Amino acid sequence: MASTNPLERRLQIAGMLLIVGLLIEAVCLLWKAPIAFIIFVALGGLLLGVGVVVYLLSLVSAPAKSG
Amino acid sequence: MPPVTTLIVSLALLTAALIGVVVARPSITTTRGGKILAFLLLFFLPIFCGAMGVSSKMAQSETTAFCLSCHTMADYGKSLYIDDPNHIPAAHFQNHRVPPQEACYTCHTDYAMFGTLKVKLSGLRHVYIYYLGTPPAPQNIKLYQPFNNRECLHCHLGARSFEEGVVHTADPATLPAIKANKLSCVSSGCHDVVHDIAHLNDAKFWKEAN
Repeated sequence: MASTNPLERRLQIAGMLLIVGLLIEAVCLLWKAPIAFIIFVALGGLLLGVGVVVYLLSLVSAPAKSG
Repeated sequence: MPPVTTLIVSLALLTAALIGVVVARPSITTTRGGKILAFLLLFFLPIFCGAMGVSSKMAQSETTAFCLSCHTMADYGKSLYIDDPNHIPAAHFQNHRVPPQEACYTCHTDYAMFGTLKVKLSGLRHVYIYYLGTPPAPQNIKLYQPFNNRECLHCHLGARSFEEGVVHTADPATLPAIKANKLSCVSSGCHDVVHDIAHLNDAKFWKEAN
């Protein structure tokens, strides 16, 4: 379920990107055709990279706790 | 499947499943332990799995089976089984002068700085042509550049058979010319029978005992 908290929402988006990226990487590792290498790097790598960046952005954009 | 690949796939799937828990219950990241867990699951483990996966894929892309998985290369694969000691690739493959599991890569890599990167980029070009372009007929496939002696000398340099070979030492100028890549090993009329796929139909083949 989508969270209404912006920080949690960003974590969910990052998590979903990473899940899809990891699943693509797992499938490509089992698939031995040369195209799997391209999909692994281009699509899987992209999703993992974007997922990690969204996670890091969610950390730096989180509002600081007062007091 | 290599055990390392199994391990990486298992770790990737486990990581994905655990990330699913964070996605379903993002509120668990509010605690200190949850934050550490989120860091491991959303940062460390995906990067670790990705890096290990790239390493595994790079190793897989160096295998003979990988190169021969494109049907354009099938005749080149057959040429490794030609029963003729003068056929350089076949003699190297059959006598394990190169690792048979990495026969193509061992000779066709570039033993220079950034050589592996250069070869991998060429490989990407091959994949592009194979899927999106028009692959040439097997007999029309040519090297991008003439075969460099450096690739042969990576193994043969210093070997007695090379350094003291009768033909190599007959003329004192021969060995320096070979080492300087001025006299080609494979195209100077010496070791020039390589992947002769035009005559595969007439060739006698070695049957590997299992």
